[in-house]
Amino acid sequence: MKGQGLRLYAILYLIFLYAPIVLLPIFAFNDATIISFPLRGFTTKWFAALADLPTLHLALKNSLIIAVSSSVLATTLGIFAARASTRYEFPGKGGLMGLIMLPLVLPEVIVAMSLLMVLLGIGIDLAIWTVILGHTLICTPFAIAILSAAFQSLDKSLEEAAYDLGESKLSTFRLITLPLVMPGIISSLLISFTISLDEFIIAFFLAGSEPTLPVYIYSQLRFPKQIPAIMALGTILVALSVLLLTIAEYFRRRGLKKTGAKDTGGFL
Amino acid sequence: MNTVPHAAPAPIASRPTMIEFRDVHKYYGDYHALRGINATIKAGEFFSLLGPSGCGKTTLLRTIAGFEDISSGAVLIDGKHMADVPANVRPTNMVFQSYAIFPHLTVEQNVGFGLRREGGTSAEKARRVEEALEMVGLKGYGKRAAHALSGGQRQRVALARALILKPKVLLLDEPLSALDKKMREQMQVELIRLQRQVGITFILVTHDQEEALVMSDRIAVMFEGQIAQLADPETLYRRPNSRQVANFIGVMNFLPARVLTEAAGRIAIDVQGLGQTEIDATQAPGAITGGETSVGFRPETLTMLYEGQTTTERETPGTIEEVVYYGDMTYYDVRLDGVDSPVRISMRNVFGRPVLDIGTRTRVAWSAGALVLFR
Repeated sequence: MKGQGLRLYAILYLIFLYAPIVLLPIFAFNDATIISFPLRGFTTKWFAALADLPTLHLALKNSLIIAVSSSVLATTLGIFAARASTRYEFPGKGGLMGLIMLPLVLPEVIVAMSLLMVLLGIGIDLAIWTVILGHTLICTPFAIAILSAAFQSLDKSLEEAAYDLGESKLSTFRLITLPLVMPGIISSLLISFTISLDEFIIAFFLAGSEPTLPVYIYSQLRFPKQIPAIMALGTILVALSVLLLTIAEYFRRRGLKKTGAKDTGGFL
Repeated sequence: MNTVPHAAPAPIASRPTMIEFRDVHKYYGDYHALRGINATIKAGEFFSLLGPSGCGKTTLLRTIAGFEDISSGAVLIDGKHMADVPANVRPTNMVFQSYAIFPHLTVEQNVGFGLRREGGTSAEKARRVEEALEMVGLKGYGKRAAHALSGGQRQRVALARALILKPKVLLLDEPLSALDKKMREQMQVELIRLQRQVGITFILVTHDQEEALVMSDRIAVMFEGQIAQLADPETLYRRPNSRQVANFIGVMNFLPARVLTEAAGRIAIDVQGLGQTEIDATQAPGAITGGETSVGFRPETLTMLYEGQTTTERETPGTIEEVVYYGDMTYYDVRLDGVDSPVRISMRNVFGRPVLDIGTRTRVAWSAGALVLFR
C-alpha cells in the first residue's frame, strides 16, 4: 500500500529524532554508574547528587544570567531593526539588513575566535558579560527574523488610526503596536533564551573562569562516574524546555484568539 | 441606485470654506503624484474625490489628514495653514479602507479610543461612546470583541470612532470598497443620513462613479495627479468637460463632428450620421478649438422608435447590431446609417414593449439639447 511506506518512514524518523532523548530519563533513574542495558533498578539518587555540585550551581547561575540578558538585549535590538526594516525606506537598507543577518550563517567558531582576539587585543578581561555580548550577536538575527514577520503582518493603518485619533507616536507604539506584536516578542525572547542556554563554542572561548552549563557538562564528561548525574541534569533541562514551549504556545494561541488573527503556525 | 430624500440644503457656494488646496504638488522621488491641485471644499459639504487607481486621490486625502507632507503649495483647514500641524492634532478624523479596527480591543474601547486624551469623567465618556454607537446603529455592541464583527459592523465602528471626536472634517478612504453590493448600497444611504445628521464636512475617496454620484454634493474627478473637473453630480454627468471624464462617469457614445460656425452663444455643428444641427454654447463645457471635434451623448438620451411611432425630436435610421437584456433595461448597439461604429441605446422595458432582435431596421430619436461637444 502506498500510505504504508510513508507511515513507516515517519515512524523511523521520529525514533531517530527522539530515541536519544528518551534514553536520558531512563538512565537518569537507573541505579548504575555504567550507561548500558539491562537496567539495574529505580533510583533518584542522581538527582539528589546534583544538589551537591557547587560548580554546577555556579554554571547554571551563569547560564541563566547570560541567557536572560542576551535574549532581552537581542529582542530589544531586534524590535528596532525589524521596525526599521518593515516601516522605513533608507539608502543601503538591503546591504545593512544583510550584514545584520549574516551571523546566522557565519560559522560560530569564527565569530567566537574573532571576538576573542578583539577582546584580548584591547585588553578586556573575559567574564560573563563578554559571553552576553557574543550571544547577543548570534541571537539578534533570529530575533530580527521572528520580529520582522510580526511587524510585517501588522496593518500600517492601525498605527495611523491611533495617531489620527490624537495619540502621540510613542503612545501609539505602546497602545497599538506593542500589544499586537507581543506574540512575536515572546517568541523572540524564548528562541534567543534557548539558543543562548545551550550555546557552547562562544561560551567556551569567551567565558574565562566563569563556566556556563554546556561548558560544565562538557568538562564533566571526562569523569565516567559523573555521567548519570549529567543524565539527570539533562532530564530536568528537557522537562523545563517542554514546559517553557508549552507556556509560550498557550500564550501565543490565546493572543491569536483575542485578536482573531489567522494561525500562521507556531512552535507546537 | 438608492434614492435619498432631499432636504433643501444651503447652496454650496454660499457656505464658508472648510478646506483649501493652493497649488499643491507632491513628489515621490521623481514621481509627480499631485500636479498642482487648486480647489476649495465648503463647510458641511459631502465632497468626493473620484478617479482610477493611481490618480492621486488617496494621496490628496492623506495630505488633509496629515499623513503625507506636500512638496509645495499649501493645504488650509478652516483658514489655518496645516504645514506644521501634525496629524494627531488636526481637526480631521479618518475612516480607513481596511477600517483599522484595533483587534485587541473591544468595540467600546475602539470607539472611545480618541477620548483617552480628553478630560471628563469616565461616566461621561461611556455616555459619549454609547451615543456614538447608537448613531451608527450598533447600540448594545460595546462589550463585543472587535475582531468578531462582520464587515459592515466594522465599518460602523470605524465611523463611530472617527465621529466621536466631533472633527471638522471626516475623511473616508474608499470605505465601502470591501463590502458586497447590497451592503454597500445600504451604507451609502446611511452615510448620507449620517452626514446630514452631524453636519460636518465629509470627504470621500472612491473609484466607483455610481457611489460618487449617489452620495456627493460635489465631485472632483482626478486623472494623473490633476483635477480634470470639479462639479456637482448632475453637471458632471450631463456636461463632462472632456472625453476622459465622460468615459469615466457612466457610458457615453461618441461621434465625430465638425464645428461649422460659432456665434451669439450658438454653435452650428455637422455630426457624422446625425447631420447638421445647432447646440447651445453651454453644451461645450471644454474649450473648443474649432474644426474636427466629437460629440457625446448618453445611452438614455436616445429613444428607439417602434413601428408607427413618431417623434417631435430629430430621427435617424439604423440597424440593431447587439442586444443585451438586463431585466429592467435592454441595451441595444445600433449602427446608424453612415456611421463607422455603433452607438449604445438603453431602453426601459416598460410593459407591452417587446425586445427587438439583432438585425432589425429601426429609427432612433435624438435631440440636439442632449449632445455634448468635446474638443
